Formats: sequence, structure tokens, C-alpha cells
Amino acid sequence: MRNIKIALLAGISFFFTEASFCQGTTKASLILNLGYYNDNNQMQYLKAATKTKVNGKFKFVGGVPVSFYISSEGPANLIGKAITNEKGQASLLILPIAKDEWNKSSRQTFLAVSDSSRLFDAVKTSVDLSKSRIKIDTAEDKKIVATLLELKDSLWVPVKGVDMKLAVKRLGGDLNVNETPTYTTDSLGMVNADFKLLNLPGDSLGNLILIAKVEDNDVYGNLTTEKTVPWGTVARYQAPFNERSLFARRGWSPLWLEWMAYSIIIAVWFVLLYLFIQIRKIIRLGN
Amino acid sequence: MDISARQKIIDDLLPQRFGRKGKIWVASLLIICVIGSIAYVRQLSEGLIVTSMRDYASWGIYISNFVFFVAISLVGSLITAVLRLSNVKWSTPLTRIAEIIAVSAITFASIIIVVDMGRPDRFYNLFLHGRLQSPIIWDVIVITTYFFISLLLLYFPLLPDFTIMLSSGKGSGSRLKKLYAFLGSFWKNTAQQKKISRRSVHILSITIIPVAFAIHTVTSWLFATTYRPGWDSTNFGAYFISGAFLVGAGAVLVAMYVFREAYKLERYITINNFDRMGKIVVMLALIYLYFNVNEFLVPAFKMKKTDADHLLGLFTGEYSRIFWFAISTSMFLPILILINRKGRRPFPAFVAGALVVVGSWFKRYLIVTPTLLHPFLPMRDVPESYRHYFPSWEEWAIAIGSLAGFLLIITIFARIFPIIPIQETITETEQDEKH
Repeated sequence: MRNIKIALLAGISFFFTEASFCQGTTKASLILNLGYYNDNNQMQYLKAATKTKVNGKFKFVGGVPVSFYISSEGPANLIGKAITNEKGQASLLILPIAKDEWNKSSRQTFLAVSDSSRLFDAVKTSVDLSKSRIKIDTAEDKKIVATLLELKDSLWVPVKGVDMKLAVKRLGGDLNVNETPTYTTDSLGMVNADFKLLNLPGDSLGNLILIAKVEDNDVYGNLTTEKTVPWGTVARYQAPFNERSLFARRGWSPLWLEWMAYSIIIAVWFVLLYLFIQIRKIIRLGN
Repeated sequence: MDISARQKIIDDLLPQRFGRKGKIWVASLLIICVIGSIAYVRQLSEGLIVTSMRDYASWGIYISNFVFFVAISLVGSLITAVLRLSNVKWSTPLTRIAEIIAVSAITFASIIIVVDMGRPDRFYNLFLHGRLQSPIIWDVIVITTYFFISLLLLYFPLLPDFTIMLSSGKGSGSRLKKLYAFLGSFWKNTAQQKKISRRSVHILSITIIPVAFAIHTVTSWLFATTYRPGWDSTNFGAYFISGAFLVGAGAVLVAMYVFREAYKLERYITINNFDRMGKIVVMLALIYLYFNVNEFLVPAFKMKKTDADHLLGLFTGEYSRIFWFAISTSMFLPILILINRKGRRPFPAFVAGALVVVGSWFKRYLIVTPTLLHPFLPMRDVPESYRHYFPSWEEWAIAIGSLAGFLLIITIFARIFPIIPIQETITETEQDEKH
């Protein structure tokens, strides 16, 4: 719902910017989105994303200064500033200076404001969220239980009906623990899943990192929790760096190749050397 | 053989001063070489950006030229070694032509590969830090070896001719006499010297065949060991060697006609030579045609998605005109001309040889560039110029300059040394008279 509001606001802002553009101003409209992230119930941060429309296509806008506020806009509530990168993203850790304001309520509002520039007008956006966290547990037979809890009146209460993913953390992304892509929390705020990824390579001890995540939720934002489990196979990485192979570095070619190549080279150049000696012989005979 | 007949052969075959046409020819080649050098200086100072080579077509006409030169150099082993070892007598007047073509071509193959390097000043790193696993290193080794073998194969049969040239006193100034004296004044035509020379040529003729096969096989492996449409073939070594023999033989036909006309060598480079050489070209063209059928028809029958763009580009797409031109001129037309006895007369044979050479150059271009412009992963988010390749004027100037340099070496060689072995011709004539 909140995202719809932001989109509507952005659309209206875009409309007015376009209208003003038609009236002779040269500034384009900037779309600013804000998201809340809580990683492993430890690291909380905000991420702002900026984009604009060029020739009917959205384009990231880098180099936009964005100010982040907690509760409301004002110097006292300023958490920090960041500048968007080439992908139009700017992230900011929620710093301890926001602790007092954060502790006032179980619900919280964050704001992001982009400064006015030569190209864009100032844009403001906000995100409201309820404080929440995910708990992840495991049971026998490789069963996973994840619980979503929300802070209400100083108590953590289960949340029903929220989509959650259960996966294993891999290098390039997350791998679902079985064929079910998402689960919905029950009245106890829980989801249950069986781990079905057999013989999945883990680290040197066979450990895997389970991950439970709620993504882009209008009320709770983006939450993730991790748990290390010994359910993988032990990965023994053997670096081929010091092995002789056809694809190795210089001086590490296979011995059979060296033997073959050098034999041929020596044989042919021996013949050439012999022929040079023959020329010398001819010269000596002539003299 | 009486002295007058012997003297007639010597007079006919001694190197001759350039006439008016010869001087114009040499001046033209020099001008082209100078333009090529200017273009190369520009490339050195500005970098490879002056070429049209970009991320995808990173090999252009320089590498096409390299493959062409390597191919044409193979003729040395065909005429000199294969025919010599087969005890074929009719090829004697052609051996030196073939060998100088080989030496000149391999020299320019080495030069053009350096031209293709963005930083030629770092060339020595290839020797210091080269990987033995890389076909590029094998190519460097085998080209160097082939160059020395070809040079020796050119030098040994020249030894008796130096003495003849030193004693003749015709057609050469004191500087050339000094050169002849330096290179062969020690040749006294003794039985022992002749024995050593004969044995050395025999050893060289045997050695050059595997090295010649290696040089072009390794060049083909520069492509075939890379997983790309058009290059991913187990057929490539044999395909390259058959094509190399064909273009080399075509070049010999051209050189035979030019030297015959320029130096009035009708008595030595006879219609019989053209007839036999023409038959060899037909045989080689048919073999190369067979390998082409293998190379194109088999993948076209399967038409794998990754090969389809490349093959259709050659058959009916943007390269179709060059492709069919190359196939027609390097194989079909020469076969049609030379299959007939009348077609194996000097002038038609010369035309057929020229068609083979021109068609083969374009064939090398088609082997190198279209494949590079059809990568497995589609080209995305790249400037338009990256999607096509047409050489810049600098590339044309350097490539044509290298071809002119190749011809210049042959021309200068023919001015300084007898283009037909004098002593061998005398010996064979004497043997014929005895029989």
C-alpha cells in the first residue's frame, strides 16, 4: 500500500514536472524510492534509489545527494547523507544517533529527501514500518522452522499471512531449500520446510548458511535471518595453481608436452646445426 | 656437352640488369612499401585505434595476410622437397623460384605478425614469458625453424652457381662480385664438396617436409584450438595444408610465366613445365575443394544454431559475394582452365595461377574475420563500428605494402642471383645427352 502511495506521489510529481517542463523549465523529474532493510536482526539500513525517464525509458541517476531522516524531516532527525552511485542507489546504516527516536515507538517512519540540483527539483519520499524480526530454527530430519515476530507494546508477537522465503545462501544468489518458492506464515507466525538439497557442497566443514527472508513487504520492509547448519558436503578445494596442465601458467606445461616439444626442437635444430657444420666443411675444403 | 652449349646456358641464366619495365616495377613496389611504412609509423604513434579492428574483429587483414604468407611459403617444400625426393627432373628450373617465394613469404609472415601487435616493443616478452602450451609459441618456433631451413635449401644449390657467376664477368658490378665471393668463392666444384652439398640438400629436403606441415598445421591450430563457429574443427590442419599447397603452386605458375617472359627463359621454363605444374594445381584444387566441402557442407547439414549465423553469412549473407568469389577463383575457375591441355599453355596457366592467388587471399580473410564477428554470445551494448569490419586505409596500406615487399624481395633476388639453377641445368642437360 505504501509503495502504491509512493508510486502515485512519484507519478503526480512526474506529471507536474512534465507540465512545468512544458511551460519552459528544463528540469526533468526524478523518482526517488526508499526501502528499509534488516539483515540478520543486527544490521539495519536504508536504501534510496533514484531514476528518471529518458525517451520513454527509465534510467538510473547517479550522483544525487540524498538526506535520510527518522520520524520527520528536520535537522534533529537527520541520520545522515549519501550520494547515489552509478546504479542510482545510496545506502545508509541507521546510526546510534537515531536510537532515542527509534525506541519511542514500535512503528517507525523514515524519510529520504534529494536535494534540488541543476537537473532535478528536490524530491521527498518516506517509508512506514513496524519493527519486526525473523527467528530461524532447525529440527531433526533437516526440518526448518522460521518465525516472523512483530514488536507490539514491548512484546514480540507472531505475524500471520506474510510471505517468506527459505533458502541456502550461495555465491551468486539464494537457492530454495526445496521446490516451494515461498511460504506464508501461519497463526503462530511460523513456516515449516523440509531441507531437500542433498549433497550440496558446503564449506570446508560441510556447513551451509540457511536464510529466511521477507522481501519488499509494505509493513515490515526487507528482513533476513541466517543460521549455519552442518547439512552440506565437505568441500575440499584443491588449487590447481601448482599443477602442470595445458592451461597452467608459464613453466607449468605438462611434462609429456615439454618432452615432446623439446625433443622435436632439439632434433630439428640438431639437423640444422649439422648442416651449418657441413657448410664450414665445404668452406674448409675450398680453402 | 660442348663448351658453346654450356656457355649458352650460362649466358641465358645469369642474372640480368633491370630494363625499363623492371625499373618501373621496382620503383612501384618501393613506393607502395614506403606508403605502407608511413601507415605503420602512424599506427605506431597513434596505436591500433587507427585500424578498424575492435573488440570483436580483433584479427583483420593483417592476420589474413599472415595466414596467406605462411600458406604461400609451403610451396618451397612442395617443389623443392617433394618433387626432388621423388626424383622428378622437370621441376629443376622451378626449384629456386619456389624457394625464394618460400623465403620471402616466411619473412613477411614474421613481419606482418609483428605489425599486428599493439606494442611491438614488447615482442621480446614472447620469448621471455611465452607459454609452451600456447600454439602462438609453437608458431614462433616453427616459423623461425622453417625460415632457416628454407634459407639453407636456397643456399646449398646456389653454391656452384657462385663460382660460375664469379668467373663469367657479365651482368654484375664489383659490389655483386664481392657478394658472390663472400657467399661462395670457396666452392671449387670438388667431388667431396659436391658430395657434401648433395647430401645436405637431401637431408634438408627430408627435414623441410614435416616442418612445412608443422608450420601450417600450427597456424591452423591458432584458430582450431579456439572454440568459435567456423574454427571449431578437427579438419583444420589438413584443410590449411591443402589450401597452402594450392596457393603456393598457383604462385609458382605466376612466377614461372613472369620470369619466362621477363628474362626470355622459354628454353628452360618450357610448355612442358606449365603443363605438369598445371596438372599439379588441378590436383591440389580438387583436394582443397574436397576439404572445403567437408568444412562447410557438414556443419551446414546440421546447421547448429551457433554455426547458422556464420554459415548463412558466408553462403547468402554479407560475406556471400566474397565467399563465392573466393571459392570460384581459387578452385572452380582454375580447375576449369587447367583441366584442358590448352589451358595449361603458359598464358592461360598464368591466369589460372593468378586467380588461385587472388582467390586464396580472400579465402584467408574469410577464415579469419567473419568468425570473429559471430561470437557465441550475441553482441550487445557495443558501438555500431564493433559489429562490422572494413579495414582502414592504414591497414590496406600496410597489408598491400607487405605484399609489395614480398614481391620486391623476389625481384631483387632475381636481379642478384640466377632464378634458374645454372649448374643443375648444365648437369641435367649433360645427363640427358648421355642417355
